[in-house]
Order: sequence, then structure tokens, then C-alpha cells
Amino acid sequence: MNTSETPQNVHEQIVTLLPRLRRFARNLTRNPHDADDVVQIALERALTRLDQWRRDARLDSWMFKIVRNAWIDELRFRARRDKVFLAAEAGDSIGTDSMARETDLLSVQSAMARLPEDQREAVSLVLVEGLPYREAAEVLDIPMGTLTSRLARGREALQALLGTEGETP
Amino acid sequence: MTISDETLMAYADGELDAAARAAVESAMLNDPQIEKRLAQHQALRLRVQAAYSAELSEALPERLLMAARGVPSQPAGNVVNLQEARAAMERSAPRAAPRRPWQSAGALAASLIVGVAVGFLMWGRSQSPLVFGAGGTLVARGPLAQALSNQLASEQSPSSSVRVEVSFLAKSGEYCRTFSLSREASSSGLACRHGDEWQVQILARGPAAGGDSEYRTAGSGLPASILKSVEGQIAGDPLDRAGEKAARDRGWKSIAP
Repeated sequence: MNTSETPQNVHEQIVTLLPRLRRFARNLTRNPHDADDVVQIALERALTRLDQWRRDARLDSWMFKIVRNAWIDELRFRARRDKVFLAAEAGDSIGTDSMARETDLLSVQSAMARLPEDQREAVSLVLVEGLPYREAAEVLDIPMGTLTSRLARGREALQALLGTEGETP
Repeated sequence: MTISDETLMAYADGELDAAARAAVESAMLNDPQIEKRLAQHQALRLRVQAAYSAELSEALPERLLMAARGVPSQPAGNVVNLQEARAAMERSAPRAAPRRPWQSAGALAASLIVGVAVGFLMWGRSQSPLVFGAGGTLVARGPLAQALSNQLASEQSPSSSVRVEVSFLAKSGEYCRTFSLSREASSSGLACRHGDEWQVQILARGPAAGGDSEYRTAGSGLPASILKSVEGQIAGDPLDRAGEKAARDRGWKSIAP
């Protein structure tokens, strides 16, 4: 603790971030129940490691990273238990295809759910969460060049799935 | 001059410095195709943001709010003891004066907080209807304390955030009343008049109306844990309308057992 920030302030800041953490977790997990579980695990971890948060670092990036690591751990755990995690199956949990055709809102989300994981993470952090490239690369532990190429491919795929503006998706 | 797609993407994402932005802008003047490609990147960004903006205003589950505020997660059975809840509250309010040793033990072990006690704590000290009194007791305050002191079960305004259901004389000689709170962490509890304060004996998750049926007994409107506590403490029958009014008019002064 090298500033005057009290733990209470940090808690309140984390509460403010909650909607975004949940949203990011949903994009990662493609399942709202998994997302809340992962966010809860991440919150518990973050609070026990608050001393590891550099006060000059962005709290949102730091938390996104913890959420992502919690999800990676969860996937490893599931793999160890030999439970099959089918991406396609999980993708169905947010909206159905018939709903997806009805509104733009669902079509963007179902298009997102079809992206490969690495592209979905990049698009989610930059386009949805609005992180600068540098922060997003840091969250994902990848070089900037890797981030921008995943982002470019993710955008291209989204564009193809959604159609261009004005056209029927 | 050709402009790569990655550059246009970076432009749309606000990642270019002033010089690079100017280069894109001057290239656009000469090539409407560049402008069109950029517009696609910008439109996609806006479309994705718009599609996800509604999620930000969704109600948050209580368990996440509690986790964010460092309140320990509820063990199985939703029973949390008061000591843990108090410790959590003190952790989240570090500027509070340290508790003196002689205040610490005592009544804590006797009391149970079920579920949402921790929910109250997350409202923060200024709004919480409960505070920790001397000896670690949980004391009603604000509108809850006022309702317990003044509101008759037979004369309740539907707009009140507190409902008082059952009033009774306990075996201890103190008057006790059950209450329900309708705020977001809706819950019910049992408070007994001790001296000039209402000490909360037990709290349970369970909305005053609807939902959470596992905590409720059909028809009673009160969570089973509260009813059990009432049954354990009540001397005789609950107060009727006249008895309740008489007790209130005497200031809920306890009667020697």
C-alpha cells in the first residue's frame, strides 16, 4: 500500500467494475452461470492479492486478467476431470439461433460466440471493454503485434458473420 | 499512399498518434475507398459496443457484490456467524475505532445471522439499518428502529420499507417483534427491546413478498428460521392489536420475568 487509497476505496472501485467484469467473463465463458462463478472466484483472489496490484496500473486491466486466469484454471480443472467442454454447446447458452436472427443485439453476441477463443478475447477487451491495445495485450500476456493481428482477424470474422451495416445479417 | 487495414483499425480504435492520424486523414481525401473501409471499422466497433451496453445495467447478484466487498462467501446452509460478519464489516471500514477488548466476546456466539446479514453490511455504514452495538450485538437504527418502536402491525402503510408482523412478550420479559425489509436485500428478522435499543436476534434471507420459498413456511410470510426463533422465545401468545398498542405506549419497557 503505497498510496492513501484505503481498501474500502478499492472495494468500491471493484464494485463499480463488476458489470464489466461480468460482461467480459460472459464473453470468455459463453455461459452466464460460468461467468458469475468465474467472477466470484476472481474477486476472492483479487482481494487476497490486493498488495500485488501496482497502484500505477489500471485496476480494470488487472481484474480482467484475474478473471481470465480464473477461467483458464477452471478449464484446466474441467479437463482434468475429463469432462468434455464443447465450445459449440456452450455457445448455445446465450441466445438461440432463432432469437439471433431477430435482433441485432443477439446477432452480434452469437457472432461473437462463434469466434475462435483468441480472437474473441481480443475483440472483447478492445471493442467491448474499450481497453487500449497495450492494456489488452498485457491482460492476455501477448505481444502487441499478436494482439493486433488477432483483433484484425476477429473483426474480419465478425464483419463476415454480421454483414456490413445496412445489410440484413 | 496505401493505408493498411491494421492502420485503419487502429485509427477506429483511437490508437494512432497525431502524425499517423493526419496521414490517414490526408490519404482519405484522395481515396474514398479508404474512407469507406474506415467507416466499416467504426461501424463495427459501434455496433459491438451497442450490443453489449445493456449488460452493464443488469442487476448484480448479491453474491458477487459481497465477494467484491470482501465479505466471506456464505458457507453451506446460508448461516454465517455474527463474529465473521462483524470482522468483515470492520475490514471494510478500517477507519472505525478499534474495538476494546472488553467489548469483544459475549453475546456473539448466541446469535446467528442468516444469509443477508452480510447484505446489510454492504449498504455501507451510513445506510445500513443495522449497526454493531456494544458487545457485538446487532442493533436496529434509522427507519427500522423507528418502525419497531412506533409501527403497529395493524396499521401499516404499504409504502413503508419496513413491515412489522408479529409482536410478543419473550420469556426473558422483553418485547420482541418480527420485521421484514423490502429493500433490495429483502429479508426478515426478529428484534427484541433491550434497554432503549432494538437488538436484532436473527436475520434471514426471505423477501416480505414472493420468492425464495425454501425459507418460507406456507401462509406465514416469514422465513422458517425466524418462526422457529419466535417459537423458542415466546411466552404465551403473540400480542393482539390492543396488547401491541399498550406495549408501544409503554415504550416496550420490559416486564420482569
